[in-house]
Amino acid sequence: MSKFIRAAVLVILGIVWLLPAYLLVVNAMKDPLTFTSKESWIPTDFHLFENFAQAFELSGLGNSILSTLIYSIVSPTIAVLVGAAAGFAIVALRLKRGFLWFVVIFGGTVFPLQMVLLPLFDAYSRTGLFDTRVGMVIIYTVISIPFSAFVMRNFFTGVAHNVFEAAVLDGATTWRIFVRLYLPMASSALVAIFILQATFVWNDLLLGLTLSQSDDIRPIITTLSGMQSTYGGAQMSVVLAAAVLVSLPTVVLFLCTQRFFAKGLALGQY
Amino acid sequence: MAHQKTPYQWSARGFVAPGVILVAILLYLPLLWTVFLSFTKYNGLGSPDWIGLDNYVEMFTDGDFVGSAMNTVLWVIGTLIIPVGIGLAIALLTWNLGGGIWLRLPFLIPYALSGIGVGVVWSFILSSGGALDQALAAFGVTDPPRWLLDAPLNTIVMIIASSWQGVGVNALLFTIGLQAIPKEPLEAARIDGAGGIRLFTSILWPMLRPLTAVVVGLSIVASLKTFDIVWGMTKGGPGTVSETLALTMYKETFVNSDYGLGSAIAVFLTVITLLASVLYLRQQLSPKKEM
Amino acid sequence: MISRRKIAAAAAGLLLGSLALAGCSGDSGSGDGGEVTGTLNFYTDKAAWKPDFESLNEVSGDAVDITLKTTGYSDANQYDAFIKQSFRTDKSPGLFTWHTGDSLKQLVDEGLVAETTDIWSKAVDEGWVSEDLRDSYTFDGKQYCVPMNIAYWLMFYNKAAFADNGIEVPTTWDELNTAAETLKDAGVTPYYQTSVLFTFQWFQHLVASTDPDLYEGLTTGEVKYTDPEIVDIMNVWLEEQQNGWFSDAGSTTDPAVGLKQGDYAMINFGTFFAGNLEGAGMTSDDYGMFAIPAVSDDLDATPVAVESGPLCTAENSKQRDLGLAYAEWWMSPDAQTAWNDAHGDVAFNPKAKVSDPALAEIGEQIAGDDYMLYDRFFEAMPTEIVTTAIEQFGAFNANPGDPMPFLEKIQATADKYWAEQE
Repeated sequence: MSKFIRAAVLVILGIVWLLPAYLLVVNAMKDPLTFTSKESWIPTDFHLFENFAQAFELSGLGNSILSTLIYSIVSPTIAVLVGAAAGFAIVALRLKRGFLWFVVIFGGTVFPLQMVLLPLFDAYSRTGLFDTRVGMVIIYTVISIPFSAFVMRNFFTGVAHNVFEAAVLDGATTWRIFVRLYLPMASSALVAIFILQATFVWNDLLLGLTLSQSDDIRPIITTLSGMQSTYGGAQMSVVLAAAVLVSLPTVVLFLCTQRFFAKGLALGQY
Repeated sequence: MAHQKTPYQWSARGFVAPGVILVAILLYLPLLWTVFLSFTKYNGLGSPDWIGLDNYVEMFTDGDFVGSAMNTVLWVIGTLIIPVGIGLAIALLTWNLGGGIWLRLPFLIPYALSGIGVGVVWSFILSSGGALDQALAAFGVTDPPRWLLDAPLNTIVMIIASSWQGVGVNALLFTIGLQAIPKEPLEAARIDGAGGIRLFTSILWPMLRPLTAVVVGLSIVASLKTFDIVWGMTKGGPGTVSETLALTMYKETFVNSDYGLGSAIAVFLTVITLLASVLYLRQQLSPKKEM
Repeated sequence: MISRRKIAAAAAGLLLGSLALAGCSGDSGSGDGGEVTGTLNFYTDKAAWKPDFESLNEVSGDAVDITLKTTGYSDANQYDAFIKQSFRTDKSPGLFTWHTGDSLKQLVDEGLVAETTDIWSKAVDEGWVSEDLRDSYTFDGKQYCVPMNIAYWLMFYNKAAFADNGIEVPTTWDELNTAAETLKDAGVTPYYQTSVLFTFQWFQHLVASTDPDLYEGLTTGEVKYTDPEIVDIMNVWLEEQQNGWFSDAGSTTDPAVGLKQGDYAMINFGTFFAGNLEGAGMTSDDYGMFAIPAVSDDLDATPVAVESGPLCTAENSKQRDLGLAYAEWWMSPDAQTAWNDAHGDVAFNPKAKVSDPALAEIGEQIAGDDYMLYDRFFEAMPTEIVTTAIEQFGAFNANPGDPMPFLEKIQATADKYWAEQE
């Protein structure tokens, strides 16, 4: 298929894909006092910054930003490394019954999250992890590990075993092979896992709601979702403005990391 | 030396241990508690009363349960077709295309948006008289279908709404898979004159297998657990027509405070999900010849 | 070249850094044993009201030296599960919002909430609260919790829509029906409806204002949903549906916005809705409220549904006494006036000053002899039955038709529930 046709298809599809995002922003800009649902497509006023300010004030967003940043950066980083280590063990080091151990880790993502919440709350309050940053970092790390292990394990199967064997012949230890050889090779996968999990953690509601309560420990979305309520929450356009505000960091994250996916990396298939 | 065939076992165990231990403690222990609860009657207060298999019997004999299961199957199929299919298409279209990363970006942005905004926006769009109906009216369509009120249309429409975020993730994962394909076989095939479709079927598709397994595996798991978008848009309604198993589980546990029944459904769902994904993965990831 | 040592140092630094930051965990309030002043940990599922509760702290701090540290939850179901679970931990709440009816009875039966009989006796004696309201909080002759708020379920209407069509506020069922017909003929949809969550309000009014005993019977299981009287009532509703009197159930437009932009002329909702309307840009010139006339002409008083949310204290909480002290202050006119300033809506305390004149007026009206109160469907019926009923009414709204299949489904759940209670 010619490159031009491909580009054209992608541009058209891309525009269609962004239409809902357009709706989101247009309606986030509307003044709540004159908001109607009849002209969803038309930008009627530019009240965006006032809505932002109201959203910020109503939801006390300021407090939770630091915590949410910590969770979204630290937890996925640890999870990426732990998952890569597991993938390395199963594929490169040929762990016995590797598939079984893989299923054990993967199984962690199979179980519905809502059912994990209450026993976890119980355990957390008994061990003093409830409403602590450490507690939140731990749980966010743990739920990110299965995805990370899955992707990394599969990614590493594409790496020829000769690479490992050659490095061993060169006298490297497994740790060095992992850190100096396999991790750099997988940088695009590592970054992909990181941004996907960081976004997931940033947008988490359930875990934050159940396992923390103080404003400065709670992640952003928990305070935000309080705004949207039949019992007198904020108006629709303010809620949308809040959603836009909260999404900005993740959108920026995606924008900035795109260069990692620009070129492929040689995986040493000799 | 026979015993050297799988050396590095101790090292391997060391590498895999953190993952296994963390997941086992924080995710498996609650799972065990839930399995226990599934054999009891419990409303969150007091102590659970053991009732054996009663919850499971109740679950399987409830008419709504079958409907719920059917919707869940619909979600699995729909998610395999739409987000996976379109994601693959996007990855292929942007592969080796100048500016490919920017052309891929519109599909990634939805995933970066907060769930609250996404839920509200799709409600806007699909509401009777909402954005979609307004757009259709501009094209002269005055009696549009009732997107959220009629089954199975509402489930299909919600699958599309959820695909909006899912396509980008899949495209990204497929892209990584495509980029990991070694250059030599590709060049060789091109020199041999292999064009688009043949290149795809003989080289790309087989070598994409590891990442395809990730995408499909994750899709199966995610679609079986579908909750947020359905709860946000229709709450499983009208009535229970768009309810999925995860919704039924949530309803029984958190709305009706019937933790025993809810746990039974959760256990059932987990078993099905595990079976489906493991069977699929086992088949995909069986030891292959070294390249 | 990154040496192993440097990696280890970086990792250690990262770990120490995050632990240091993590060291700051939330503070835990005071009153660990019998104190009656200080900071009270308060949990609520009405997260949107958090600023209102916090603005009250100035007044409560001066009056009784107690301030609230509020934690809001936005998901009501998760909140319920969380509170129930917290009774087993040391986080057992000193003050939390809950629901009347079945949910409260469950907690009382397990001895989990603190008794407030003395507080109520004092409040009733001082004329701070009506005796009717006390009934909802009474189990086995003793009271538990105090009322946080009440809301009456009335009809809000768009004044312009009424004025344009020469409609006066209806005072009888016939007048209401005439108004609906007039509106319909003029091309305006009379009533709001939805297919999720708030689908029960029309049913509750039709049943309770046809015969309050019928409604009472539903709450105890004596009356079945499939009984002929209920079927007849549903057929009245069906006829109204077929006349096109209800708005499109598939619209997810915010109800306040819908009233504002004329999607419908009237909406049956709780008095807290006035706040939503104000937020959407309507003033008391744009909207009004009236108590919905009774279906039956034979009743002495028009039934009005009331919804009341309790403020409770956990019996085993470390802040039990602090919570009870706050609860006692809460019922006083000073507290209620301050709360009304912060929050709006009608007040349960007749001596409190209601800031919104329209709400004050209607509050007084309903407190009078021409009206009687009954518990809202949501709280009056057992939870499982409510869940199925709401779903089925929603399905009925989406596809109005022969009521029997819907009623049978609700009754099936009811049969199961009442059988278990034997």
